[in-house]
Amino acid sequence: MRGKVAIIGVGMIPFGELFEMGLEEMVQQAYINCLNSVDKGISTKDIKAAWFGQWSGGGMIGQGALCGASLATMIGNREIPITRTENGCPTGSDAFRNACLGVASGVYDVVLAMGAEKMRDKPGVESLIAAGGGGGGILGLHPSWMLGMGGPVLQALYATRQMHELGYTMEDYARVAVKNHHNGVACPYAHYRFEVTMERVLNSPIVCWPLHLLDCCPQTDGAACAIVCRADIAKSFTDKPVYVLGSNTGLDHKNMWDKHSFVEMLSTVRAARGAFEMAGIKPDDVDFAEIHDCFTNTELMNLEDIGFCKKGEAANLLREGYWNRDGAKPINPSGGLKAHGHPIAATGIGQICENYWQLREEVEPERQVKLKNGIALSHNVGGDAFGVSCVTILSRSL
Amino acid sequence: MVQPAPASPLFWRFNPEIYQRMGMKCSDCGHITYPRRKICPECGSFNVKEHQLSKTGKVHTFCINWTPPPNLEPPIVNVIVDLDGGGRYQGLITEVANPEDVTIGTKVEMVLRKVMTDRGLNIYGYKFRLVEEG
Amino acid sequence: MAGIIGYGVYVPRYRLKQADAAIPWGGFGMGEKSVCGWDEDIISMAAEALENAVNHSGVNASDIGALYLGTASSPYIEQHVAPILAETLGLSPEVSVLDYCGSINAVAAALLSCLDAIEAKRIKTGIVVGTENRRVGPGTEGEVSFGAAAVALVIGDSDTIADIEGRQTYSTLFYDRWRAAKDSWVSNYFDYRFAREYGYQRHVSGACKGLLENLQRKGDDYDHVVFHQPDGRLPALAARDLKINPQKLAPDLTGALGDLGGCSPFVSLAGILDNAKPGAKVLVCSYGSGRSDAFSLVVGNQIEKKRGNGIPLEKYMARKAYLDYPTYLRLTNNLVRAPY
Repeated sequence: MRGKVAIIGVGMIPFGELFEMGLEEMVQQAYINCLNSVDKGISTKDIKAAWFGQWSGGGMIGQGALCGASLATMIGNREIPITRTENGCPTGSDAFRNACLGVASGVYDVVLAMGAEKMRDKPGVESLIAAGGGGGGILGLHPSWMLGMGGPVLQALYATRQMHELGYTMEDYARVAVKNHHNGVACPYAHYRFEVTMERVLNSPIVCWPLHLLDCCPQTDGAACAIVCRADIAKSFTDKPVYVLGSNTGLDHKNMWDKHSFVEMLSTVRAARGAFEMAGIKPDDVDFAEIHDCFTNTELMNLEDIGFCKKGEAANLLREGYWNRDGAKPINPSGGLKAHGHPIAATGIGQICENYWQLREEVEPERQVKLKNGIALSHNVGGDAFGVSCVTILSRSL
Repeated sequence: MVQPAPASPLFWRFNPEIYQRMGMKCSDCGHITYPRRKICPECGSFNVKEHQLSKTGKVHTFCINWTPPPNLEPPIVNVIVDLDGGGRYQGLITEVANPEDVTIGTKVEMVLRKVMTDRGLNIYGYKFRLVEEG
Repeated sequence: MAGIIGYGVYVPRYRLKQADAAIPWGGFGMGEKSVCGWDEDIISMAAEALENAVNHSGVNASDIGALYLGTASSPYIEQHVAPILAETLGLSPEVSVLDYCGSINAVAAALLSCLDAIEAKRIKTGIVVGTENRRVGPGTEGEVSFGAAAVALVIGDSDTIADIEGRQTYSTLFYDRWRAAKDSWVSNYFDYRFAREYGYQRHVSGACKGLLENLQRKGDDYDHVVFHQPDGRLPALAARDLKINPQKLAPDLTGALGDLGGCSPFVSLAGILDNAKPGAKVLVCSYGSGRSDAFSLVVGNQIEKKRGNGIPLEKYMARKAYLDYPTYLRLTNNLVRAPY
């Protein structure tokens, strides 16, 4: 990025089924936590613009469409421009990217990126349908083309093909759940904080063959936000800013039937390629990463598409412990979407919070990853037929 | 979830797509897809023409969905089909006796089926039936 | 002379054992009936029969001048369903596309209209589609006996496989089966002997007698006799009235597929044509709601040439999977989960 950008504070609330909190309270608590996290202090009036990542647009909470004014009201600041961002599952990361662009362009010095999602004001099944089957995907298309579609189906179509072309097995997928649940146990912000065994995953009900219930991420409520500013003024807010080296959105066809492959997501490939180029680094330079494991097979595919390993190698490396929290390249030390939860628009910024804390070595000692280059990556993929991906690269130094 | 009624212009516009399987083929890159478009989604070319998708093909990938939306009877088998003559189609297998009969490479044919009912009006579309040999 | 250029049938895969539906209500049933699957209805069945018929006939969609659909099972009181089929063939907007409803004789009525249009030289080729999946109520006779099927006939005046050399109507005011607009299922008059003998038997015999007189034939001149089959007994009674050897009657389908309503005589005819020899004479008679239409057919030489183009009825009859009665109740909306 031409104009350098730094994160000076982040705030998140513990993800989960937050029946006692509405969208507004979740946003407010994340915002309060965020402002309080800035080492040398900051106040609302220092923030000059905001981007509000919000995916369901109120469809999940029955409040009609949400907009910039929704966030202005929630954080008590009607004096600044606020734009609502919606871009599938990477909504939060894309709100963050736009916030960075606001600073990098030189227009604003300090801005806010907020992501929040209320999933569980609807019962689980209804929430799933609203999220997958009839959400954005059906709009503008005839329903007979989208019949019976939903998040698990879309991923299961990939999972079947991964098994066919790459020789992956349901055990390989289950192993991802085992690893990420293990990571989630130690993370105080995670939705699921229990261990699972291979056996338990493989004995859980089939949701959509070849995916079991415990191959799927939960329906989670959550909110997360970050404050970014011009890198050259970051030290006036904190002595340990974290710099944004690269942030990119990559796209692919929005219809499943146009995809060239079902073992690779070009959206991720494009997002990662652009982000690495922007950061001037290679995948090997990344110490650890938070990546989009909405389903267990997706994590394996993403690792390959980002370039952390060759196509077809992710499962073997997983078996060898390469992606473990204490392995050569820890993946999803927060527990990932699988255990930390997936409140759509909060997910991406939640990952950025985790990476910020890990890079500042502020997390619980037992789950602190080893840092070499001080570079972390986060990744989301989603939207219609997983056609949208965001990759964000953070670093302790410029 | 608000579904547009079958009588809406959204559905009416897609009549040729739904009932005659009209799609498009790019004269530059050869990409075949549906619905009909003015611009090729693969290469951006404006040089596209109408193309009727064939009714037969082979399963490219599939999954067996035990938790479908309430208007569908589980298990449903979702498929992406490589159509004979090019292009892919997304749909469901119909007359599923045994989901294990479906696998990658299985031969299928399109048949018109009722896909949902809205305010008493039925909506139709193509599903796939396994081709029985002989 | 107008005749059949090609034909096709469709029978859904699913079967219900008639006893399964009868026994819970203290009744009895023998045999099986065909049942639409979750995603099937009269249109999806008709689309398959239509495609089979067009493939069998060898005509191009652009040659078709009319598409007439007959059914007593339309989901709509106001709104045609035939245009859906026209859309699948991509027929031009100038083609006459119509539904015939109001009785299970509607399929025969659609055929008469098509023959009229061809004989009047308004069109050269037309398609007649019959499709039935009648509404049944729990515990009713129809629930035990009504089957589901579709049939399509491509009609024209050249390249025929069977010529229709004569026809005769017999129509009176008679109530035996009806479904009021407000009703979700078919009702019937409970006195079997009155309803069937004075309804079915009298009308079928009447139409056939008139036709035989016109053509100066005797009943036994026919090689095959195809009557509407409401059950396994009535065709034989009508044959007796007409002094026709019951051996010549088309095989009973009610034990395998149930009462196919307006499709019955034409599905049976398709089964006969699947194996008929050139020169064979076939007598066909429909019945529904106080009306019968009798048709006299002569099979032509073309039948052998086109035989490989079609899918025979017996293939559809052999292809089957059973549903249990609770599933059938749900399929017919007669067993509904409480909304909350």
